[in-house]
Amino acid sequence: MKVIVDFDLCEANAVCMATAPEIFRVDENDMLHILIEHPGENLRKKLEEAVRLCPRQAISIGKD
Amino acid sequence: MRVDEIDLLDLDAFAARGFPHDAFATLRREAPVYRHPEPNGPGFWVISKHSDVIHVSKRPLLFSSMQGINLQLVAAEELPTIQTMMLGMDPPKHSKYRRLVSGAFTPRTIAQLEPHIRQIARRIVDEVAAKGECEFVNEIAAELPLQVIAEFLGVPDEERGRIFHLSNRLIGFDDPEFQTSPDDGKIAATEMWLYANQLARARRTSPRDDIVSVLVSAEVEGEKLSELEFNNFFLLLAVAGNETTRNLISGGMLALLEHPRELRRLQSDPSLLPTAVEEMLRWVTPVAHFRRTATEDTAIRGQRIAAGERVVMFYPSANRDEEVFRAPERFDITRTPNDHLAFGIGQHFCLGSQLARLEIRIMFEELLRRLPEIELAGSVRRLRSNFINGIKSMPVRFSLD
Repeated sequence: MKVIVDFDLCEANAVCMATAPEIFRVDENDMLHILIEHPGENLRKKLEEAVRLCPRQAISIGKD
Repeated sequence: MRVDEIDLLDLDAFAARGFPHDAFATLRREAPVYRHPEPNGPGFWVISKHSDVIHVSKRPLLFSSMQGINLQLVAAEELPTIQTMMLGMDPPKHSKYRRLVSGAFTPRTIAQLEPHIRQIARRIVDEVAAKGECEFVNEIAAELPLQVIAEFLGVPDEERGRIFHLSNRLIGFDDPEFQTSPDDGKIAATEMWLYANQLARARRTSPRDDIVSVLVSAEVEGEKLSELEFNNFFLLLAVAGNETTRNLISGGMLALLEHPRELRRLQSDPSLLPTAVEEMLRWVTPVAHFRRTATEDTAIRGQRIAAGERVVMFYPSANRDEEVFRAPERFDITRTPNDHLAFGIGQHFCLGSQLARLEIRIMFEELLRRLPEIELAGSVRRLRSNFINGIKSMPVRFSLD
């Protein structure tokens, strides 16, 4: 699976970082970094939770 | 209650009893996508389920904000004005305008305001603490968001009262106490625009560290904001950052007073405040609805919706959805998870959510500490509105500290 972020929507609410810190980091300049673009299946649950909880609904999951 | 008895246009009922949670429990169960009749129009769709609010919010091009944001029909000549406000824009335009100010509202930026907001909150509580009683809405709940957003925007101290009254008149369009005539809201908007302009002129010559200074120099695709765009930007931030937080603080306090066990629990363990704030947001949900308009034929839950029809999302109903919240009718300050939609979700997710959360938490930290024996001292008067869940006045008393 592939992590897709719509950076037009992202506003650094950092909910994804709280939910899936392995995948997302919001830095001190409010920039979001995707730490793992193709996370393993072991992170699917966390990633799906981040997708669901993003206040701006800026995250989606794509195919590899 | 039967579905055909439900009347969401009966504003007197909203004033008398608050948001009709019983009616919405019926709608969620029997008609989750419900065509509500209206006297001089074709009716509108009432969306009451949590997952349907998300479905609509996530599709801003299919469910557009450009035809009006409240459930009632808008006259064609009023649309251009609405469309210069972020609330009435769709992407990509909406994203470009929002980007101008969103940096000022991120959790990181907002967190830096904590010491200053605490200072303001302390001053507000100090003012009333020695009196032993006060009118909670105006003397406590309204003051904090008003002072914070006024400072954010760059409104000087001595002019904040004016913004407060204009904001009341703007949003209280269905309540005779706040508006003397149907045109009064428009007059209030004009007065707010004039004021915004005056402030813009001052900041153009000598910019400061405030939002007005950002907006007067801002450009979207190489163009400065027009006067109307600037005015409406100002108006939106002034109203949205004011009224909503006030109603959350008042409504949250009322919820605690009506649930004394939860109040005592919170007083004995203030570390529960973060989840308590989220539960107050779920419970009160100050913004009762926003409307979208379908841009093409579509369906929700199998119910056909035609292009041009109004789709109205009722957030307090989504926040009591039995499929999402266990025992939704219970006020539980430790509720976890609490995926409420009090701030909306998606493209139009409340820009000021982090600021609101911070203000609410600090205000209640101060209130719980300073006014431990607080109780109701008279009747609660609600706003006559199906748009804003508001409290107009709420007398309280407390022991002197």
